[in-house]
Amino acid sequence: MNRIAIALWNPIVAKEYRSRMRTWRSPLAMTIYILLLGGVGWAIFSSTASSARNSFNGAQAANYGQVLFLWLILFQMVLLAFITPALTAGAVSSERERQTIDLLFVTKLPAFSILWGKLLASMSFVILLLLLSVPIFSLVFLFGGIELDQVLIAFLVTAVAALTLGIIGLACSTAFKRTLPATVSAYGAAFILLAGSLLFGLLFPTDINPNATKAPAPPAVTYLSPILPLVVIGMNAPVTGYGIRNGVYNMAQGGGMACSAGPNGAQSCYVTTVPIGKGAVGQPFNPPQPIGTTIPSGLFSGWQYWQATITMQLAICLLALILSALLLPPIRHLPWRRRARVVA
Amino acid sequence: MIAVEGLTKLYGGRTALDHVSFEVPKGEIFGFVGPNGAGKTTTLRILAALLEPTAGRALVDGADVTEHPDLVHERLGYMPDFFGVYDQLTAGEYLDFYAACYRQPKARRKKIADDLLELVGLTDRRDQAVDTLSRGLKQRLCLARALVHDPAVLLLDEPASGLDPRARVEMREILKELQTMGKTIIISSHILPELTELCTMIGIIDQGRMRATGPVQEVIRQLTTGRRLRITVLGHKEEAAAVLKPLPAVHEVVTVNGAIEAHYDGDDAAAAGILQALTAAGIKVSGFSQLEGGLEDAFMKATSEDI
Repeated sequence: MNRIAIALWNPIVAKEYRSRMRTWRSPLAMTIYILLLGGVGWAIFSSTASSARNSFNGAQAANYGQVLFLWLILFQMVLLAFITPALTAGAVSSERERQTIDLLFVTKLPAFSILWGKLLASMSFVILLLLLSVPIFSLVFLFGGIELDQVLIAFLVTAVAALTLGIIGLACSTAFKRTLPATVSAYGAAFILLAGSLLFGLLFPTDINPNATKAPAPPAVTYLSPILPLVVIGMNAPVTGYGIRNGVYNMAQGGGMACSAGPNGAQSCYVTTVPIGKGAVGQPFNPPQPIGTTIPSGLFSGWQYWQATITMQLAICLLALILSALLLPPIRHLPWRRRARVVA
Repeated sequence: MIAVEGLTKLYGGRTALDHVSFEVPKGEIFGFVGPNGAGKTTTLRILAALLEPTAGRALVDGADVTEHPDLVHERLGYMPDFFGVYDQLTAGEYLDFYAACYRQPKARRKKIADDLLELVGLTDRRDQAVDTLSRGLKQRLCLARALVHDPAVLLLDEPASGLDPRARVEMREILKELQTMGKTIIISSHILPELTELCTMIGIIDQGRMRATGPVQEVIRQLTTGRRLRITVLGHKEEAAAVLKPLPAVHEVVTVNGAIEAHYDGDDAAAAGILQALTAAGIKVSGFSQLEGGLEDAFMKATSEDI
């Protein structure tokens, strides 16, 4: 085997596969996963079927397809957010608790290989779960409204988000000696990634600037969450009602601007020369609207939401991996820990 | 083969090792003895490049444990005092896994596992799950694991702890075989008689300080002053003790297991004088023998006072 193959395929992976697949837990986890995802798919499908009993046309079918896909892909993401930290948060700390880690450290495996092996084994299981969900997602194509590229991109976003959660779990497992605090912090990080970043968009939305030439976009932090790109992909529509301040915009001169979202998601605003609430109504104007599903302005202007999400998450993965590789070895050669050693 | 110079390890404010130095030449078996918490495991973990010393240095076959842990791992096999095993793996798979971790070629791994299982007497357990093996068998398997890359040096931390007498004897036999294979072995143990029989060198450590180190008999000689006579008599022991106590060479007389033990200074002529004094006093001596100073005496002496 060449060097790359040796680096990618190390004994830890084979051992982890063997151990994982010999227990009853893995088939059980897969069965529960499929049952839950299938259950949600079945529930959406049956509610759609009952509402479509009286009249059903192509446009409605496409709409049902989109709704089914959106529910499934979001539910799958939430399921993986529960499963992935559990797979990796104990990867290193359980070796410590079982007193097997020293036996690995004294072998010729470098610390990075140990981490990589643990990660690859856990992520393979996640990929297996994703593959198992493909037949359920194929239900969507009964209705239409979703293209194959949307499904593929949504799966890519889900896989990268799971990878990020997995690597964060691995970093927690490396940083904490015990599995319990590692698991708690991994789930905390998963919550921050999925929901916390979205909450940030609600608490600190982008203000609509009446002088801007580009449409406003939610703050860049919100792209960390895979939920936002999955919704954009599923709906195949730009983000308009989230992460953008939709109410009163006070200007320095004492005037103001009031905006509201129309039924189609488009913004319409009024600019006044006196403060809002004094009864004066100024000239109506329409701020620029986002075109297509790209991010209209900001740091990732012109990017697709999923591209921004994947880029940011991969950057987090890289940082977490580097941190883990620095923390794992029993004798750490950290630059800031170098000190004059006394040779007796 | 192993050189330790001024090794010091501080845990917070506590000194676990205080300028420990010793050397182990190639092919020697070095017994590392000391009470619990003396610093044996800390020393062995530093030698295995699993712990960074606060000061001093340790070399394994010329490789510094702090600077080149990869070279150290290549050259030594380490068996910790407490270790776990993986679930869902058989003994054969367990050894194959570690052989792969030591980058042994796949084609050779089966033979390595077979040979090592035979060495430690586990051939018939090849397909048994490792987590179902008894403690003694796990110890043997762990020893086999430490040998998968055929290291020149073996660090064995309490390999006989928790084993029943039979398993201890079997472990000792395996270590003797490794000795004949030319391995340099450092073995920490509480079981002193076994070390006397097995080791060519010993180091006695207490409270993080090396109290004595060198060839076994030399250390025993250094630490055990005075000689002992074991005397059995017919009749009353008190009469014999009354004769012995006034003698100038004798400085202590005690009764051990029904026999008299007389601690005295001097050579064989002094011992002959003691026997003569007993018979002259009409004591019927039925047994009279010199007692050899042992590792246990040396250990007790080394760990009970500052040298």
